[in-house]
Amino acid sequence: MNDLDRRREMILEKISDLHALSRKGLWGLALFVAISTLAAYFRNFNLMAAVSPEVRDFLGKPPSSEMISIALVVYSFSALILILARMSADKENYRGWAHLGYLSGFYLFYFVSHALQENFWAVFAAGLTILGLEYYNVWSYSVDAIKKEKQLLSQVGKKSPPSIS
Amino acid sequence: MRKSLTAKAIVPVALTVTGFATVCSLLLFSYTKNHLIKDEIMRELCMASTVVKATRHAMLQDDRETLHYMIKNIGENKGVERIRIFNKKGLIMFSSHQEEISNIIDKSAPGCVECHAQEDPLTALGPMDQARRFKDLSGKHLIAVTTPIYNEPSCFTAACHAHTEDQQVLGILDIAVSEEHLQGALKTLFRQLIGFWVMVVILSVGGLAVLLQRNVLLPIKQLIGFNFAISQGNLEQSPPEGVDEVELLGRSFQNMALKLHQKSKEVEELRNKLDELEKHGTGPKDSDSSANPD
Repeated sequence: MNDLDRRREMILEKISDLHALSRKGLWGLALFVAISTLAAYFRNFNLMAAVSPEVRDFLGKPPSSEMISIALVVYSFSALILILARMSADKENYRGWAHLGYLSGFYLFYFVSHALQENFWAVFAAGLTILGLEYYNVWSYSVDAIKKEKQLLSQVGKKSPPSIS
Repeated sequence: MRKSLTAKAIVPVALTVTGFATVCSLLLFSYTKNHLIKDEIMRELCMASTVVKATRHAMLQDDRETLHYMIKNIGENKGVERIRIFNKKGLIMFSSHQEEISNIIDKSAPGCVECHAQEDPLTALGPMDQARRFKDLSGKHLIAVTTPIYNEPSCFTAACHAHTEDQQVLGILDIAVSEEHLQGALKTLFRQLIGFWVMVVILSVGGLAVLLQRNVLLPIKQLIGFNFAISQGNLEQSPPEGVDEVELLGRSFQNMALKLHQKSKEVEELRNKLDELEKHGTGPKDSDSSANPD
C-alpha cells in the first residue's frame, strides 16, 4: 500500500514538473517580447549623439550593419538546425535562455550601429521563430510524457486493493 | 493519430521555413534599401559637385545674374525640390525659392550642425555625413546634400571678392531632391519580396504536406482499414501496397492473424474431441466406473 502511494506521489510530482517544463517556453517568449518592446522604444535613439567625442573615439567604429545581418542569418540557420536535431533525438532540455541572450546581443549591435530601425523586425522574426520552435519542442515532449505518466497513474490506481468497509 | 502525426511533422517545419524565409527577406530588403539610398546620395553628391564646378566661372566673374538664373533653372528640374547657395555666415545668397533669399540659416539646423557642432567647424565630411533625409512641410520625403565651396587660388587672387587666403570654405551649396522614385522602387521591391516569400512558404510547406499525405498518412490509413478487416475475420484481403514498410507491416499482421486463426481452429477441434470423449464415458471423468454397464 505504502509503495503504491509513494509511486503515485512520484508520478504526480513528475506530471507537475512536466507542466512546469512546458511553461518555460512561454516564459521565454514573453521575456523576448518584453525585450523587443524595449528595443522598439529606443530604436530611433542615436547613442553616438548622446556621448562625448572622446567616448566615441574610445569606443571606436561600430560594426557595419551588413556584417551584423550576415551574423544574424548564420546564427538563425544554425540555431534552427540544432533545435530540429534535438527534436528528432527527443531531447527535452530547454535552451531558450541562451537564445534570449544572443538575440538581445543582436538588438544591441544594431542599436550601436544605428541600424536598429531598419533591422528590428528581422531580429524580432528570428527570435519568434527560434523561441517558438524551442517552446514547441518542450511542449510536445511534455504532452507525450504527461500522457504516459497518466497511463501509469491509472495502472497504479487499478493495482490498489479495495478499501476495507 | 493522423492529426497528431500531421501536426508533429508539419508544424515544426512550417514554423522553421516561414520564420527563416521571413528573416532573410527582411534583411535582404533592408540591405537593398541601404544600397539604393547610398547610391542616391552618391548621385546627388555628384550633381552637387557638377553645380559647384558649373557655377565657378560665374562666381569668379562676380556675375550674380547668371548665377541666379543657373540656380533657378536647375531648381526647375523634375525631382529637384530646392537648391541654394549660402555664404560662410549662413546668409542665403541664391535660391530656387526666391522667398528664402537673404534669410540666415541657423548653425544648429540639420545640414549645418554636422560641421558646426564643435567650436572649430569641420571643413570636410564623409559622403554619407553630407547627406540627410527628412520630410518637408508638405510631407514629401527628401534627400538633401550639402557641398562646401572651397577657397582656391583663383578665388582669393580675383578682383571681385574680399577673400583671404586662410579662408578654407567660402560658402555651401545645399541641394534637396525628392525621394519619390526611390520610394517607388522600394515599394516595388517590397511587393516582389512578399510574392517570393509567399511562393517559397507555400511550396515548401505545401510540398511537405502533400508528400507526407501521399507517402505516410494515406498508407497508414489503408493499413488501419486492412487491420480492421482482419480483426473482423476477413483474412483473404491483401495488404496495402505502394510503400515497402507499410506493405511489410501489413503482411506481418496478416501472417499473425492467419497463425492465430489456425491455432484457434486446432484448439476448437481438441475441445470438440474432448467433449465427445466425455459424452461416451471414456473420458477422464468416468475412469472409475469403467465396468460394463450390463
